[in-house]
Amino acid sequence: MQIYLDYSATTPCRPEAIAAMQEVLTQGWGNPSSLHEWGSRSAYRVEQARWEVAQLINAPTESIVFTSGGTESNNLALQGVARTFTAPQHLIISAVEHSAITKTAAMLERQGWQVTQLPVDGAGRIDPKTLEAALQSNTALVSIIYGQSEVGTLQPIEALGHLAQQAGALFHTDAVQAVGRVPIDVGRLPIDLLSMSAHKLYGPQGVGALYVKPGLALRPLMGGGGQEQGLRSGTQPVAMIAGFGAAAVCALAEIDHEPPRLVKLRDRLLDQLQSCPTLKLTGDPHHRLPHHASFCLQLSNISSNAPPISGRTLVKQMNLAGIGISAGSACNSGKIQPSPTLTAMGYTPHLAQAGIRITVGQQTTEADIDWTVTALQQAIALLTDAQ
Amino acid sequence: MANNTANNTHSQLIYLDGHATTPLDARVLNAMLPYLTEQFGNSSSQSHRYGWEAAAAVKQARQVLSNAIGASSDDPSEIIFTSGATEANNLALKGIAEAYFQKGRHLITLQTEHSAVLEPCRYLERLGFEVTYLPVQPDGLLDIHLLAEAIRPETVLVSVMAANSEIGVLQPLGEIGALCRERGVLFHTDAAQAIGKIPLDVQAMSIDLMSLTAHKLYGPKGVGALYVRRRPRVQLAAQLHGGGQEQGLRSGTLATHQIVGFARAVELADSPEEQEGLAHQRQLRDRLWSALAPLGGIHLNGHPTQRLPGSLNVSVEGVDGAALLLSLRSQVAVSSGSACGSGKTAPSHVLLALGRDRALAAASLRFCVGRFNTEAEIDQVIDQISVTIRALRLGDFKPREIKPKQD
Repeated sequence: MQIYLDYSATTPCRPEAIAAMQEVLTQGWGNPSSLHEWGSRSAYRVEQARWEVAQLINAPTESIVFTSGGTESNNLALQGVARTFTAPQHLIISAVEHSAITKTAAMLERQGWQVTQLPVDGAGRIDPKTLEAALQSNTALVSIIYGQSEVGTLQPIEALGHLAQQAGALFHTDAVQAVGRVPIDVGRLPIDLLSMSAHKLYGPQGVGALYVKPGLALRPLMGGGGQEQGLRSGTQPVAMIAGFGAAAVCALAEIDHEPPRLVKLRDRLLDQLQSCPTLKLTGDPHHRLPHHASFCLQLSNISSNAPPISGRTLVKQMNLAGIGISAGSACNSGKIQPSPTLTAMGYTPHLAQAGIRITVGQQTTEADIDWTVTALQQAIALLTDAQ
Repeated sequence: MANNTANNTHSQLIYLDGHATTPLDARVLNAMLPYLTEQFGNSSSQSHRYGWEAAAAVKQARQVLSNAIGASSDDPSEIIFTSGATEANNLALKGIAEAYFQKGRHLITLQTEHSAVLEPCRYLERLGFEVTYLPVQPDGLLDIHLLAEAIRPETVLVSVMAANSEIGVLQPLGEIGALCRERGVLFHTDAAQAIGKIPLDVQAMSIDLMSLTAHKLYGPKGVGALYVRRRPRVQLAAQLHGGGQEQGLRSGTLATHQIVGFARAVELADSPEEQEGLAHQRQLRDRLWSALAPLGGIHLNGHPTQRLPGSLNVSVEGVDGAALLLSLRSQVAVSSGSACGSGKTAPSHVLLALGRDRALAAASLRFCVGRFNTEAEIDQVIDQISVTIRALRLGDFKPREIKPKQD
C-alpha cells in the first residue's frame, strides 16, 4: 500500500486539468502570438485560463501574469519591484519565507538593498507591531508568506498589508501554499502582488502566476518577444496554462467544502497523535493551512549524549512503510541542516533538524490517516529502541 | 511517419508555421501522461518514492539531451532545464555578463538574433555593458572576419544563433566556436530552431553555452534547457533564486512531465525515421520554392542551401504585406516574421538586416515545412499562393506606408 501525504510538495494533476491540457496538446497547440487561426485560438485559450485563475482570487483578468511557477513569480515580484528603482531601497520579509524569497532578498542585499527579516513567535506567526516598527520611509516592498509551507502557519495578511500600504510600501505575498486551500480575495485584501503555483492546487508543474495589481509599476526579469504585457517574455505554455485554469475553476468550486474536509482529516491525525509524547505540533494550532500538520520529533527518554534523531530518519522509516511524508519543504529536503523556519521559531539546532510535515489532500481518506498514525507510532518505537 | 490527429481540427487550414511552434507529436504526449497521473512527485522530494521516480525521470531526460548535443557523457549536469529558450537565452547572456563583469563588459551578437537575445543585450547596455551588433551578409550569414575584428580584450561573450528563426540560415558554428576558443571568448548559441534538425556537437563546435527549446521540435511548450560547459568550467550567475535546483543555477520545482516530453521529442527527432523525414521536408520545401519562383518578383531570403531543411522565406514584389497575409489567412497558416513580434506591423528586423527595403520586407512569407505536412498540402499551398499573388498584383491592393519600428 502506498499513501501520499506530501501535498505541500506537489499535488497530482486532477482529471479536469489533464483533460484541458490534452485538448490543447492535441488540438490547440498554436503559438498564441501567431496571427493566424492556430495562433488566435491559442491566444483565446490563454485568456480564458487567465480569467479562470483571476476568478480564484477575485482579481481582474488583466492582473494575472503567467510564469513558470511559484519561484519565478516570487523572483518577478521582488526583482521586478526592485528594478523600478534607480537606487537601492529597503525590503522587509519575514524570518519564515520560502527560499525563493530569502535567496532573492539576499541577492538584492548584495546589490545594496537593506533587508529586514521580521521575527516570528514560537508558532511561526508575525506580530503586526513588529512590522509597524520595521517600516521606514524608504521601505519599497514588504513580502510575507501567506501560509508557511513547513509549519503551516497562516499570517495576519490583512493587518500586515494595511500597515505596509499605509507606510507607502507595496505588499507582496507568496500564497503558493494558500491559493485554492484558503479563500483569498485580492479585491478586498490589501495585496499588491501575489504569487501562485499550479502544481500545489492539482494543476501541472511548471506553471504559475503573479497577480499584479492594475497600475502597479513592475519591470520584467526576462526580455524577448514581449508576451504577458511585456512582463514575461517567452511563448506561453498554452496547455499548462489551460490546465492551471481548469484546476483553478475546480478549486474555486470546492473552496467551501474541500478545505473543511481536509481540516477534519488533519484534525483526526492531530487527535490521534495527541497521546504520542514524542511528536509535538509545530506551527500555529489555530491559524493554520487546512491540509497541514507538522511536528517536531522530541525523544525525551533517550540519554542526552545520544545523537539526535532527525526528521529525515523518521521520514525515511515512513517511506519503508509506504507512506510519503517530508522533513520540511521539498526544495530544501536534500540538505540536512537545521530548518531556518524552526530556528526562527526558537527551536534549538538539534530540534530544528527534527521537523516532519504531513500534508493531506484530495485523495486522502480516514483509513489513510489511521494507518499513518499506526505506522508513525511503530517507526518511532523502532527508532527509540535503536538508540 | 507518426499519425497526428492535430491537423484534423482546422482541416482547411494548412499549417506551415513550424518556426513559431510545432504540433505535439502523439508519441511525446504518451511519454508525458504518466508523469501527470501516477508519477506526479516533486523531483526535489528526496524522502519518498514519489520524489525518486520523478528525479529518475529527470535524470534520464538530462542524459538524453546531453547525448543529443555531444556534451560530455559523464556529466549530464551540464544541462540546466528552463521554461524555454527565452529563459535560457536570458540566463546565458545575463548570467555570463554578471559572472564575468570583472573580466570585461563587452558582448558581441548579430543584428539578426531573436528578440530573446537582443532584449537581454539592450538590458545589459542599460547596465553599462557594451554590445556590438554585427551585420550579416545579404544571404544572412555572418562574415567570420567581421567577428574576428570585433573581438576585443574585454569581450566576454559571443552569441550567434545556430539557425535563424525567420529565414532558417545556418551560421558556421564550428568556425565561430574555433575562433572564440582561440581568442579566449565564451561562445553561446541559441539553437532553439536548430536542435533535432541539424547536427549539433558542443565539443566539435567549441560551444560553451547553448539554448534549447522543446516546442519547435514537436515537444511541449514551456520547457527548454541551457547547456553550460563544465570543462573548462563556465561560470554563470543564476537569475532565478530559491530552492537551489539545477545546481543552484535555476531554482524552481522541475516540471517532470515537460522534461520527459522534451527528451522524448529530442529522441524522436534523432531517430533514423525522422532524420529521413527531414530529407522529405527539404524536398517539399524545394518543391514549394520551385513553384513560386516562376511567378516573378519573388525574392528568396537567406542563403539558398545553408538553411534548415523545412525553411523558406520569400519577399513578394508588388503586393501589400498585410493584404497578402490576410488573403491567405483562411487557407494556410504562415507568418511574416517571428511569432513573438508578429503582433506588431513593423517589417522584420532580420529581413531589413539582409538589406531588403521596408515595403518588400513587409511583403514576406515565412514557411516551415514540418513533420506532418504532405505533398498534397504543399501542392494546395502552391495553388493558393500563386492565385493570391496574381490577384493582388492585378487588384486594387496598394502597398501602404510602413511606419518605422518603435524599438
